[in-house]
This record gives sequence, C-alpha cells and structure tokens, in this order.
Amino acid sequence: MISIDNVTVGYGAAGFITAVDGVSFTIGSNEIIGIAGESGSGKSTLMRAVYGDFSTGLRIKSGTVTGRFTDAATGKTIEKPSSLFRDLWWDQISYIPQGSMSVLNPLMKIEKQVVDGLPRRERGGGRRELRARIAKFLAGFGLEENVLDAYPHQLSGGMRQRVLVAIAAFVNPRLILADEPTTALDVVVQKKILLMMVEIQRRLQNTLVLVSHDLGVHYQITDRLVIMYKGQIVEAGRTADIFANPQHDYTRNLIASLPRLHGQRAVDRVGAGA
Amino acid sequence: MHLLRFIAGRLVVYALVIVFALTVLFFVPRLGPTDPVEAMLAKVASQGAYMDPAQVDKLRQSLIDTFGLGGSLWEQYGAFVNRIVFSADFGPSLSMYPTPVMELIWNALPWTFGLLLSSTLIAWILGNFVGLLSGWRPNSNSSRVMEGIAICLYPIPYYILALVLSILFSYVWKIFPLTTTIRGAPWSWELVSSIVWNSFLPAMSIVIVVFGWWVISVKAQTSALKEEEFARYARLKGLSDGRILTAYILPNALLPQITFLALQIGLMFNGSLITEILFDYPGLGLLIYTAVLQGDFNLLMGTISLSVIAVATATMIIDLIYPLLDPRIRHR
Repeated sequence: MISIDNVTVGYGAAGFITAVDGVSFTIGSNEIIGIAGESGSGKSTLMRAVYGDFSTGLRIKSGTVTGRFTDAATGKTIEKPSSLFRDLWWDQISYIPQGSMSVLNPLMKIEKQVVDGLPRRERGGGRRELRARIAKFLAGFGLEENVLDAYPHQLSGGMRQRVLVAIAAFVNPRLILADEPTTALDVVVQKKILLMMVEIQRRLQNTLVLVSHDLGVHYQITDRLVIMYKGQIVEAGRTADIFANPQHDYTRNLIASLPRLHGQRAVDRVGAGA
Repeated sequence: MHLLRFIAGRLVVYALVIVFALTVLFFVPRLGPTDPVEAMLAKVASQGAYMDPAQVDKLRQSLIDTFGLGGSLWEQYGAFVNRIVFSADFGPSLSMYPTPVMELIWNALPWTFGLLLSSTLIAWILGNFVGLLSGWRPNSNSSRVMEGIAICLYPIPYYILALVLSILFSYVWKIFPLTTTIRGAPWSWELVSSIVWNSFLPAMSIVIVVFGWWVISVKAQTSALKEEEFARYARLKGLSDGRILTAYILPNALLPQITFLALQIGLMFNGSLITEILFDYPGLGLLIYTAVLQGDFNLLMGTISLSVIAVATATMIIDLIYPLLDPRIRHR
C-alpha cells in the first residue's frame, strides 16, 4: 500500500536537520503496524512524511514514499508520491491526532466536526439519515447520541479521544495513521480505545499505523513492529517475534524498561549510553 | 441556569454603572465656578435692558426655581433623580432657554448614533476582513502592503487626520461641504442623500483611524490561530483554505474582537466630540461642547447622561451577544 524507499526526511531548507535517516519499509494492506521509539527518534516525522503533511519546513531530502490506492468509485489504481496525497486525505487516508484539549474546534458541535471533511461517498442520504448513521457508529464507541450536540469542552479527555478515533474511522479509509492516540489517557481508557481501534481495523480490513513510545501499547495490538532510534530503523518484524527474541540492544532495553507484574524490572541495561 | 445568572449579573452591573455615573454627573458641575443664574442675569443685563434690583431679585428667584437649583444639595439631588428616573426630563436648556434639553438631545442623537454606528461597523468589518486575510498569508505582498498602511495610519493623532481630511477634501478640492447644511423635506430622498453627503467625511476620518488598529490586532489573532492544533487538524482533514478560514479561524478570531469592540465604543463616543466640532456636525458631541462653553448645567447633564446610558447600553448588548458566539460561556 505504501512503500518507503531509503527515505531521508528533515526540517529546514538552508540548514537541513535530519530527523529520519535512510529508512525503508513497506506498509501492506490489512495489518496493524506499530512504530516505536523514544522522543526524537523520528517516528512522528516519518509518520508525517507518510501522511504527506509537508508543512512547517518538513521535506524529503532523498528517497521516496509512494502510495498505491484503489479508487473506490472507478476501481482504478492511484499511484503517487506522498507529497501529492492531499486529495486522498479524508478519503483513502485519515489521521488520528493526539487528542489534547485543542484538537477539536472549540466553537463547533461534534456532529459538524464529524461531517466536515467527509468524502462524498460517505455522505449519502439526507442530513437526518447521516446523523443517524453517525450516532449508530458512535454508539459502538460507547458514546451516546447527545455527544453529537455537545461542544468539545463538554466532553472528558477519554470521550474526546474516542470522538477523534470515530471521526477518522467513519471516513472508512484504507489507511489510518494514529500519532500517540492514547498517550494522554489513563490505562483503563487507553485499553478500551486500543481495543476499539483493533475492532475497527478487523472490520474495515484496512491498515492502521500506530505511532507510540509505549511498547505496552504495541504489544497489545500491533501485528508488525518497527523500532526507531536516532532516525533509523534498528529492528523490524512481527511484534510477537520481536518481544520473544529482540535482536538489537536498544530494543532489549525498551522491553526491559517495561514494568513487570512479578519480580524486578530488569536493571542490567544492555549497551551503555543507550 | 448558568446563562440566566450571567444575564442577571450583567444587568446589575449595567444599572450600577448608570447610577454611579449620574451621581458623579450631578455633583461635579455644581462644584465648578460658573453660576448659571448669574450668567443668565449678566446676559440679560448685557442686552442693555435696565432692571431695578427688586426686579433682578425676582428674576433670579424664578430662574433658580425653573433650573431646579433651589434648596440644599441633597434636596436638589432628590429632585434630580426624581426627574430623570420618572419623567426622563432634564428641564429647559439654560443657554437656549426655554427649549427643553430633551428636545435638543432628540434632535442631535440620530446624527451621532448614525455616524458612530456606520463608521464603527464599516471599520470593524473592513478591518477584520483585511486582518484575517493578511494573517492567513502573512508573507504575501498584499498582506505586507496592507500591514504597512495599517501601521502608518494607526499612530496618527485623530484630530490631525481629521483636519487634514477636512482641509484637503472640503477646502482645497471642495468635494465635501465644510459645514453641515441639510436640505430636503423629511423622509425625502434628497434629505437622505444630503445626510450621507454631509456625514461622509467625518465618518471616513473615524474609519481610517480605527481601521488600522483592527487590521493589526486581527492579523496577530489569525496568524496565532493558524498554528493552533485544531487548524492543523482541519488542514490534515483535507479541508479547503476557504473552509478552514471561515469555519475554524474566523469564529475563533472574532471572539476577542467582539470584546475589543465593546471596549472601543466608549472611546469612539469620546472621539465623536472632536469629530463633531471639527466637521461642524450637529450631533451630541457638539451639543456637549456648547453646554460646557455656556455653563449650561441642564444641557450638560442631559447630554452626558445620555452618552453614559448609550455607551453602557451598547457595551451591555455586546456582552449579552457574547454567549451566543462562545459555547464555553453559554453552557458548562
């Protein structure tokens, strides 16, 4: 679906700062891919390059990010670099931001924010019918219909994040990119939202790319995992394999840093300075 | 419930402001050096009519009665409140005796109201529009030009700008009239066009001065909001620039502008005093000016009271509109 070929991404025109350094991997259809790594490892930058969000000085220095999508209406294959993805946004691709207080427009009701940007194919029927469909969809997230008439400030943090997941999923896209979608939430709400995201992916048979620094999150839901460190991929493979048999020192440290139910958290750090 | 409390609180503040202002208004002129009765008597004397002292005393007494200046300060205050609250009557004008003050005010009020309303709205809408566009594309040439113009206009003292406009367009090029002369029967087209023609230059002078300020402040608002997360999210939804600007940036940028508008109305009202004097415009400002020069207590009291009430009312209306625009105040 997306092939990333030896891509180097960074910021600035004159003094170029490299954030992602010569990364290659492919995102297939019908899978959940996790991108893990510490702050500054380049995982969010990579995600922005895949989404095609080249603002605030972000640019690809070398290499390519190419997408292949099938147009739902005509059945034709669309193939283009991510810099031209803009007309695929909220159609083939959608995005779940980290739901801080200010991601939703404070002056717009939730219903309007769900409808805003929706592709024509998902708008079918009258306004009332669309509202009924959205309400039914939100019910699957444990949100009542009156959420549609609420303003963002009337919802709790967990509700807002569920709304953001719902907005991205209601588009019915082929690819959903999620940037730290559960980071600001407590573990109970976090788990609920992660399970929803899995359920949606299984139902839509599309692709979910999940960016998170939290290995526990990746362990719970991803099929494949990409570990990034200092702008490079240090390890990639099936999530179960990586947790069972980590190859790289950095991965081992990440796994060792997870809290354990029994016994001590591993203290013997592998590779000093990592 | 929350909304009701908000409205009730606002109404109480409104009433308190007016009561306080009227009280100050009552006492301040009475502490001044001009005695309107003596001034009136001097005026009669200067017209050359001879009166014997007994007659003068009689006249003085009748003037004190009509002007409501008899008795102690507190008795006068009671009578004053009584008159204003229950009959909206400020008595006769002392300088244009015996025309009632209210009649003078009613003649002048539409002029000031029309001038300020039209010029404020034009400046506000134009300034917000230009500021929004130039904040959206802060590095485009047109944005830089507009900001340049705004920055040049903003610091010019109002009276200088007004004088320059008046000299250029009424004296040098004789396009607009120097003094206001109204022609035409009531409600005729000729009257309307003559009013617009006479008001154009004073209104422009206000628009030009205020416009720059709006452009600068809205531009700053817009360029900050553009970087907000909800604006980025809207962009990543693939929404068009026009949609982002009108549905996401504009409503959020307008909220503080509405508060500023409420604050500005008072200043604009003060400014209209100078406007009306410079352009010889027959509004409330010119009336206040006359009243001060002539030591006309009643007229001064009437004009200023009405200004206070007008400004307080306008501010309150804007405050009450605010919850309609901001759901965070409307319901919690």
